[in-house]
Amino acid sequence: MNNNLGRILIVEDDAKDVELTLMALQDYNLTNDVVVTRDGQEALDYLYCRGQFHTRPCENPAVILLDLKLPKVDGLEVLKQIRSDERLEMTPVVVLTSSREEKDMVKSYKLGVNAYVVKPVDFHEFVNAVKELGVFWALINEPPPGSMKK
Amino acid sequence: MPLWNLQLNMASSRVLRYGFSIGCVAIAMGLAFTFRRFHFRDIAPPFNLAIAIATWYGGVGPSVLALVLSAACFEYFFSPPVYSFVISKQDLPSFSVFIAWAVLIASFAGIRHRVEADLGNARDNLKVEVEQRKLREIEIRRLNHELADRAAQLEASNKELESFAYSVSHDLRAPVRHTVGYSELLQKQAASSLDDKSQRYINTIIESAKKMGILIDDLLAFSRIGRAETKTTLVNLEQLVKEVIREIGPDTRDREVAWKTGALPMCYGDRSMLKLVLVNLLSNAVKFTRTRTRAEIEIGSADGANQEVEVFVRDNGAGFDMQYANKLFGVFQRLHLAEDFEGTGIGLATVQRIIHRLGGKVRAEGAVNQGATFYFSLAKAQDSEARIASGL
Repeated sequence: MNNNLGRILIVEDDAKDVELTLMALQDYNLTNDVVVTRDGQEALDYLYCRGQFHTRPCENPAVILLDLKLPKVDGLEVLKQIRSDERLEMTPVVVLTSSREEKDMVKSYKLGVNAYVVKPVDFHEFVNAVKELGVFWALINEPPPGSMKK
Repeated sequence: MPLWNLQLNMASSRVLRYGFSIGCVAIAMGLAFTFRRFHFRDIAPPFNLAIAIATWYGGVGPSVLALVLSAACFEYFFSPPVYSFVISKQDLPSFSVFIAWAVLIASFAGIRHRVEADLGNARDNLKVEVEQRKLREIEIRRLNHELADRAAQLEASNKELESFAYSVSHDLRAPVRHTVGYSELLQKQAASSLDDKSQRYINTIIESAKKMGILIDDLLAFSRIGRAETKTTLVNLEQLVKEVIREIGPDTRDREVAWKTGALPMCYGDRSMLKLVLVNLLSNAVKFTRTRTRAEIEIGSADGANQEVEVFVRDNGAGFDMQYANKLFGVFQRLHLAEDFEGTGIGLATVQRIIHRLGGKVRAEGAVNQGATFYFSLAKAQDSEARIASGL
């Protein structure tokens, strides 16, 4: 996946959710833009271009789709680090999670998340939600300077 | 050893006290005889002393005895004519003076004695009180400790509950979502090769998984009521009911529903929670009157006991059998088949939980096919205001 443009960074530990998300993005041919990392540590490695990602051109993704419950470093911690880093702080982050817990929502917004989306149980709704997110953040929205261009 | 202790010890035996009194007078007599032998003119002081001592240590009874004995002995042995109880005229004044002195000393000693005794008692009472207070303090400290322990336990179990709900929220929804997602993908992928039966099976899988998702969401919402903080404000129930009726209006568009709202008081409670109560009760009323050509739903209130107000929601719908009334408010308890009236059975459990949190009670009355009435009680506004004013 290192060859991908990486305009959409998905941080998701669940393989099935990754598959369903990619399937949803396929309809708009957005899959080529997607980079998937499976835990918080890997996501941070990707964003800081270190470890296995040290060879990639170090540009920021146009959007990060972030799950909250992740192995090693959880989503809120990843968000906190992104927001406290000068190079990454402007990068749009969308929390995409199973949890509707108010606590998570409040914490995410306090840390400066751009959107908070609860994964719908209904598959159509889920696909539509991911599609809309992908289209809006990767195609419609103009990302901050330093992000990957189309 | 303080005097009152000696007095207390002696007071324990009546014989001892009166004996002591007689002894005192006997010694006084001995002294008086000695005085006369040496031609002392005044022989009253030994008797006065005896009366004083008897009064001091013996109390009132021995004092009177000493007084009488002293007077008798003085009169018989020392007041002329000697060895007779006759008092000659010229000796009457001196005898009277003796008696007066004796009474004066006795009463003075008595008063002092009483004061001393009172002081002693007061001191003892104080001692007892101090001891009791110490015991009470120990008890309070023990109870405080127990309370702190309980609070810690409660906090621990609350945290456990919260993390449980948290993991349910995060982890239980994912498999449900995958079941629905992959079933629908299968349906799409194999649409042409699936016969009707297989299609129905897949549909059932999808429906059940969706139902599971709704159940999980309902259960989480229900557990959130217990964990959320309540914000108590003055709530206009009448306005709130109107708001709720407006919101559930779309569900009744193609039906005839007669809403009847009586006068409702101002109440104290958490507005959003009370709204949830009314949404549940009113949408239940709408749901269970579906079979009626004209649904009648009445919302009203009546004064209850203890400055409370009881709000009721009455409908002319399917009703229920009163023998199952205790099951109505249980979590996931249903008295109707899902085919007849949809729902997960969490609505009334939510109502009960909220009202209990707000310090009220819920109950229900009904009969099969004759409608149902649901009641909930709340503290009336003026009562709550008074409570807040008095700092309770």
